[in-house]
Amino acid sequence: MVQESRKYLKGKGITKLINVANQIMLKNYQNLDQYKDIFYQCGKCGNCRTAYQENGWPRVCPSGEYGKFEAYYLGGKNLLTWGLNSGKLEWTENLARIFYQCSVCHACLQQCNIPEIHNYAGEWLMAMREEAVKKGFGPMKEHTLYTDHILNEYNPYLEKHEKRLNWLTKDINLDPSGDIAYFVGCTSSYREQTVALATAEILSSMHLKFKILKEEHCCGSPVFMTGQAEKAKEIAENNVNTFSEEGIKKIITSCAGCYRMWKEVYPNKFKLNHGMEIVHLPELLITEIKNGKIDLNHSLDMKITYHDPCHLGRHMGMYEIPRELLKKIPGIELVEMERNRENAWCCGSGGGVRSAFKGLSESAANERIQEALETGADAIVSSCPFCLNQFKSNIKQEDLKAYDISELINKSF
Amino acid sequence: MISSEIITKLETIVGERYVSDEPEIQYLYHYDFISAEPEGKCDIVIMPGTAEEVQNIVKIANNFKIPIVPWVSGINFGGIATPRKGGIVIDMRRLNKVLEVNEDDMYAVVEGGITWADLKGYLNKHHPDFQAGITWSPPGTGVIPSHLCYGMFNLGMLGGTGAEFINGLEVVLGSGELVKIGSCSLSSYWYGRQPLPDLSGLFIGFEGTTGIITKMAIKLWPKLPFRTDYLPIAQTVEEGAPMMLKLAKAGLGIIDLLFINLGWAQSLMCLDQANVANDPVELGLPDFLGLITTQAYTEKQHEAQCEAIIDICKEFNLDPLTLKEQMKSFPENMQGIMGHLTPSTGGQAPVQFWGCWNFSRGGGGEWVGSYNTTRNVVKYYQLSRDVSLKYGKPPQYYCRFMFGGHYCVTRTNINFNKNNPEEILNARKCLKEIHDAVQQLEGSIMYKPPLWAVNYYNDKMDRNMYQLIKRVKGLLDPNNIMNPGQGIEGEK
Ligand SMILES: Cc1cc2nc3c(=O)[nH]c(=O)nc-3n(C[C@H](O)[C@H](O)[C@H](O)COP(=O)(O)OP(=O)(O)OC[C@H]3O[C@@H](n4cnc5c(N)ncnc54)[C@H](O)[C@@H]3O)c2cc1C
Repeated sequence: MVQESRKYLKGKGITKLINVANQIMLKNYQNLDQYKDIFYQCGKCGNCRTAYQENGWPRVCPSGEYGKFEAYYLGGKNLLTWGLNSGKLEWTENLARIFYQCSVCHACLQQCNIPEIHNYAGEWLMAMREEAVKKGFGPMKEHTLYTDHILNEYNPYLEKHEKRLNWLTKDINLDPSGDIAYFVGCTSSYREQTVALATAEILSSMHLKFKILKEEHCCGSPVFMTGQAEKAKEIAENNVNTFSEEGIKKIITSCAGCYRMWKEVYPNKFKLNHGMEIVHLPELLITEIKNGKIDLNHSLDMKITYHDPCHLGRHMGMYEIPRELLKKIPGIELVEMERNRENAWCCGSGGGVRSAFKGLSESAANERIQEALETGADAIVSSCPFCLNQFKSNIKQEDLKAYDISELINKSF
Repeated sequence: MISSEIITKLETIVGERYVSDEPEIQYLYHYDFISAEPEGKCDIVIMPGTAEEVQNIVKIANNFKIPIVPWVSGINFGGIATPRKGGIVIDMRRLNKVLEVNEDDMYAVVEGGITWADLKGYLNKHHPDFQAGITWSPPGTGVIPSHLCYGMFNLGMLGGTGAEFINGLEVVLGSGELVKIGSCSLSSYWYGRQPLPDLSGLFIGFEGTTGIITKMAIKLWPKLPFRTDYLPIAQTVEEGAPMMLKLAKAGLGIIDLLFINLGWAQSLMCLDQANVANDPVELGLPDFLGLITTQAYTEKQHEAQCEAIIDICKEFNLDPLTLKEQMKSFPENMQGIMGHLTPSTGGQAPVQFWGCWNFSRGGGGEWVGSYNTTRNVVKYYQLSRDVSLKYGKPPQYYCRFMFGGHYCVTRTNINFNKNNPEEILNARKCLKEIHDAVQQLEGSIMYKPPLWAVNYYNDKMDRNMYQLIKRVKGLLDPNNIMNPGQGIEGEK
């Protein structure tokens, strides 16, 4: 039940509260102190728990539904932040753990209608993680493990950097002189290589002059999302330098996390004005289809449901383009899950949850898989290899498949 | 302090995951984080998943004489779920299911921790032709507390207070015994409390001090196909109120009838208190906004009802627009809650609000909310208005007519910045003064009363009634473990 007329906050997939005058406007991404006159406005009314626009009032917060106690919902976290800020609470390991047991999917703040909380709670959830790191209570040990590896081998999967391009086949036409790069990302490079391959094959078939940089490093998202902003910035600077030196003007991503980092976090949080155009694969393809440059010919004869990755949807505001693209594939019937677009249930892999909080991560994934099954779809399709990997690891039923959008497009090409 | 031996026993009942004595988890149960009432102290939080688990928790608490406080969302405006004597907060929210809906006799049997969002979602999906009476409290608040504590619903004109919507109960007593009350005690049907002795009164208005409800049957009502919401606006409350009093006795399919003053409307518009006049009346703005909701089974009936409603309004020189039309006359960014939610309710009055008392951007709010005789609706406003202005607060008044006009609710809200201790103290003083002022009007009795109001009534109440309450409480909770420090203490 999404209203077409819905307006979103600039650059985000969170609705704009147009009916409230005198909203306090803040500069984005500051330290915790900036928010101290807002978070106490929360009265833990519980609106952050359910999607009020949907007929069935479905639950939206994986962290709360798993953790159950008040502290695991946004209301609780707002007031814990206030408690800390007003000296009633102190930093403890437990407090840090509560803040980390959350995929920062932003479904909660979408529901909150106190304008300042709606607009900025996502930022103080991150600022609290950064604070936890400063105080020595964060990140979780699993995050430290992969962060160290990223700093040495440039990926969080404990793999060797030299294997990053192992998936690449000879059929892919790379153009070393091109100024367009496909930023593959770690998950597609090491875990969901079909996504990397499908994307590269699509780009090749389009005769696009693009290259893939051997010196591509992790985008830094898993480091940034776990409150390690300084380390994430170093990683980002390195990437920006590498790609600038290669003369790259445009970057194509197939991972929602990488897309958000390059397009939003690098310039706005880290102030790295790289000047490159950042395009997510579905954006590129829909434009090419509209310009008549691509035809999707092969019918796939499938009923699918689309899962909105949080980093693409609520974090960046891209809901319709992947859907439009999927509908262009002959033989595809697209059905919606009850919780979709800004109310989509998170797959449970982001924000460092998958590595450090397996119980929460799996319960979130299983709930989404069940929701997909209830639509009668043959497959759940996403536009993020991290979501894909999460679904594949958790689907136990034979009757549901998981794909990335690039895989379906490539089959229909 | 609760010993580790007891914690282990509690963990055995519900599983380790659902018990916590961690300060960060407890912190959020110390008080309600909205009202100006003082904080309490929660030592342990536990989340049972079955009625049997509730029984076993209560048995342990009773054995060791540890206070227990039933809790759904803890934002009741009176601090009545705040643990005044420490102990165990029983967060009921894992008990959140609709167990049965009987469309023939129009009731739903629900579990003790279900929230409005759960209930509405279930009914919308599975029984779309039926509705429950709903408060204006946020969707995350509890259905059971709202019924038990005389909640005031959007079907108030139809069915009265939440307590009157109760058909039957399953309750855990202070001893841990499980009791069924109403027709469900003799059959599998929960159609009513009649004709057996009505023991539901042992728990209604007792604020969780006599038992923990694990199941409740609540009345549902058919959603009739024709409905209109009118929003009449008059210059003053004095001018508008007589029209509402006449409408309250006119039938006309009216299911909800209420009015608010401009101060309250400004809150609903989500205006920041810092940017509005304390007394908008001084600016010559209209101070009375009514809401008349009527429904009917046929179009013809509906037309006739609407015509009669408009005729009554015209007698008072008012020609009301529908809510939908009226909203169009407000600038978009001043429509606030109404503008945001009305489209998703199809132009009907939105029933649940978010954000608690945040309109002043201070996060704090409390009310003097009273049941009252309909004679007092204007005087109550005048008295509470004077006190509010004296304390530099915009007067926020609200009046809802109940049960075919038999009585009404009158309410004055105060907002404050809960980050500022001085403002909290000021709000407390202001609330008490409003309460004292409206006591000049006989019959004004606060619901969900904070302790200071309970104590006030204790001194004034018929002595035999007071003693009887003490005896009943003592009987049901001999060790005084159930929400101690709230309500009237039991006889030892
Ligand atoms: C913005 C806002 C608007 C509101 N509007 C209205 C309104 O229109 N009408 C209205 O009536 N109220 C209204 N309220 C107040 C309303 O009563 C409460 O918010 C809500 O109904 C109480 O639910 P809760 O879950 O917060 O109850 P709690 O505070 O958790 O509990 C209230 C009392 O019930 C007891 N209790 C809880 N569960 C049980 C149980 N299972 N068995 C026995 N006792 C139990 C508690 O111990 C406590 O004494 C409003 C509140 C807010 C914040």
